[in-house]
Amino acid sequence: MKDKLSVGTSPHLHKDESVSRIMWLVVLSLAPAGIAGVLIFGLSALRVIILGVVSAVFSEGIIQLLTKKRITVLDGSAFLTGLLLAYNLPAHVPFWLPIVGSLFAVAIGKQVFGGLGQNIFNPALVGRVFLMASWPKYMTSFTRPMNYDAITCATPLAALKEGRAFENLSSWDLFLGLRGGCIGEVCILALLLGALFLFYKKYISWHIPLTYIATVGLFTYIFGQQGLFSGDWLLHVLTGGLILGAFFMATDYVTSPLTYKGQVIFGIGCGLLTAIIRLWGGYPEGVSYAILMMNAAAPIIDRFTKNRVYGKR
Amino acid sequence: MKKFFNEFLRGIAKENPTFVLVLGLCPTLAVSVSVINGIGMGIAATFVLLGSNIIVAVIKNSIPQRIRIPCYIVVIATFVTVTEMLMKAYSPALDRSLGIYVPLIVVNCMVLGRAEAYASKNTVMNSFFDGLGMGVGFTLALILISGIREALGAGTILGHRLFASFEPAFILGMPSGALLVIGLLLGFFNVLKGRKA
Amino acid sequence: MKEMVRYGFILALICTIASGLLAGMNLLTKARINAQAQDEEEASLKEVLPQGERFEAVRAEEEVLYYKVYDKSGKFVAVAFKASGKGYSSVIESMVGMNKDGVINAIKILSQNETPGLGAKVVEPGFVLGFSNKNLSQLDNIQAITGATISSGAVIDSVKKRAEEIKGII
Repeated sequence: MKDKLSVGTSPHLHKDESVSRIMWLVVLSLAPAGIAGVLIFGLSALRVIILGVVSAVFSEGIIQLLTKKRITVLDGSAFLTGLLLAYNLPAHVPFWLPIVGSLFAVAIGKQVFGGLGQNIFNPALVGRVFLMASWPKYMTSFTRPMNYDAITCATPLAALKEGRAFENLSSWDLFLGLRGGCIGEVCILALLLGALFLFYKKYISWHIPLTYIATVGLFTYIFGQQGLFSGDWLLHVLTGGLILGAFFMATDYVTSPLTYKGQVIFGIGCGLLTAIIRLWGGYPEGVSYAILMMNAAAPIIDRFTKNRVYGKR
Repeated sequence: MKKFFNEFLRGIAKENPTFVLVLGLCPTLAVSVSVINGIGMGIAATFVLLGSNIIVAVIKNSIPQRIRIPCYIVVIATFVTVTEMLMKAYSPALDRSLGIYVPLIVVNCMVLGRAEAYASKNTVMNSFFDGLGMGVGFTLALILISGIREALGAGTILGHRLFASFEPAFILGMPSGALLVIGLLLGFFNVLKGRKA
Repeated sequence: MKEMVRYGFILALICTIASGLLAGMNLLTKARINAQAQDEEEASLKEVLPQGERFEAVRAEEEVLYYKVYDKSGKFVAVAFKASGKGYSSVIESMVGMNKDGVINAIKILSQNETPGLGAKVVEPGFVLGFSNKNLSQLDNIQAITGATISSGAVIDSVKKRAEEIKGII
């Protein structure tokens, strides 16, 4: 019975959409970024995506079977988790990496909390962070774009962090995704196409993604390497996993705040953390950690921003 | 005799300090990187537990209620310092890998917990077996946790390579990996207990 | 008031017994602990300068500055010293064996607590052997460990800095 009741703040609206339908449409909106990733990094990227998705769906099915729960592998949520995880991996990782990552994401990131809707953290990011901490060697060797071989190159952010000069990439290259990076994060154009579709369908609102990206841009502009107000904010916005994270992962319904006010706080928090990790942290990229940390804060944000019941003081 | 044996067994299964009482997690998290560390820590803590349980049971009637905690702490700290000296003298390599966590047994809540909750209310013999059982239970838990962490986090057990080709997951060698393993094991034992009940 | 005195007395008694016990224990183990530490130091000295036969500590106010190393024929051939630098998550301490002409013979990492799998690789031969047969100006060319630039840099910089200081005294 508990599964059939849902609790939310008023006002309540009835929508003619099921969770499953939304999930599959989000998957669809992510398709262009995946296709772009395969075009840029070659067929090994496709292999990573397929392995990630298939093992996420299988893990979910097996766990639900073992714990004798209703099997809901076709609701698209496990598919989406596997897809997002694969998008967060470099193209030339060993075959077992996406499998272990998906298993961890679904088992520890989602099912131990009780399945879809109960998880505190974004499962795909839990999987990614686990892989990052476990096998950093594979997670940080990125493939050179448009080369289709396992020739590695540094990401622009990693080069920036180590103070090395990187190959000159124009903002246009970055926008199209012609740089080293994870499969699904590089092609900003494709990601924006998908995001536009989600806006059009009103599945996501502007609150989290825009405040998130704006905060990162502003912060990295203010605290530039050559003194205040000199930062290369455009580079910071266009590289790393920021666009993928802001539109598709920070906006996850389950792990982000419910109210618009809360979502603005959430977005600014994500942006601050990302910028701080990128500028002064130990890692070149901080999107996954920023979103996970704010996921943990989401319940508190909800508590302080929930709509007041009408007439109550 | 059977009674003593029961006291002993209680610490291993029914009231296992790590998985049931959830005491002494700080050293458990910190030193369970390798099995040899786990065994060393387990033995050191068992020694301290035995000593402090016996002494506390002996002197329990001559200590006023209001200053019992400082008295227990002095007793425990003495045994810990003795352990540390012995370890430095006879097993310097282990001492180095356990590092600060040997002196920190003083604040291991398992030791003080047993002194306060058990030894101060029971006979010397009972306290001895309680300390032994708790110590062995703690050691077994440490071996289990560190076994998993060393096997998956470094691909070895007691320094021996397990698999021909295996990419160890570094996270299990880090504190976050310890939290993961302990959490999963706690959950597993709770499920087992739930099944039985 | 009387209570207080009694409590104080009991605590003092317990503490006295405990400290007596510890003093005894200290007497028993002290010699062995020192011997162990010395053995260890000697073993690491031997490791970085295998040709050394006799190691003579040069002290400045009790603290060992460096070791003068003599070979079989009793000739002064090399020095050995400790270097330490702040790595990514710990202070990395190393023992360095340097020939008299300023060429590093070998180094050994004595203690570190860096990230397993990344920074902790500084103890592995792949990194440590890179120091062998390098003079001080060549130290900068040592290949850092991939993904562990900070840990590698800490070792390289600390060895170089200390080596320059020692070279100035001998």
